[in-house]
Amino acid sequence: MGPRPKLRLLRDIQARQGVMDNELARRAYLYVARNQMLPSQIRHQAQLQLNTFSRYTRPATVKNRCSETGRGRSVLSEFGLCRVRFREQAKDGLLNGVRKASW
Amino acid sequence: MSSCIAPSRLAALTKLRCSIFETSYNPTGVRTGAKYLRQRLRGPSMVAYYPKQLSLAHIVKKYPELGMKNTPELQRLDDVDDTKARGKGAPKKAATKADSRRAQKKR
Repeated sequence: MGPRPKLRLLRDIQARQGVMDNELARRAYLYVARNQMLPSQIRHQAQLQLNTFSRYTRPATVKNRCSETGRGRSVLSEFGLCRVRFREQAKDGLLNGVRKASW
Repeated sequence: MSSCIAPSRLAALTKLRCSIFETSYNPTGVRTGAKYLRQRLRGPSMVAYYPKQLSLAHIVKKYPELGMKNTPELQRLDDVDDTKARGKGAPKKAATKADSRRAQKKR
């Protein structure tokens, strides 16, 4: 048996893929729905269409998680690692340009 | 001095500027939704955040000529068949929502 799959991480990967796949269609609907020059009935129809998209197509669902542990809190998004893994790898010299402060 | 210039002249100036620089003339600030078309697409960078995951199932499916086998998955399917044969498998899914055990519990 390998390590337990990190469900939250898998779900986040799924959400990212969904955002990319549906981005163009969502943008088009958003343009129609938010355009005040268009008749309100058409805008309303576009808004209803936007509501039919699944939750894994919205960019707000995506959260930067630790790519090794799947931890959602205290993630340094520049490295894609949580604070624990960041510290370990920085101490081992695996992160370029990162060194422990000392003065 | 700006107070000497008539508002209509200023509006005409803005209109002319818009025609020269090819921007849309929108003096009342009506929302046109243009910002949703102007924004860059965020999907590609979002997908690139995590490093690519290697999965055995993916490799087995992509390169059938290698003749590899996903042993853990085959073992799992074997175990499922085994539990089913002993009558210990997962219960059947309800055909409709009304048939579900959860619905019966609530009544």
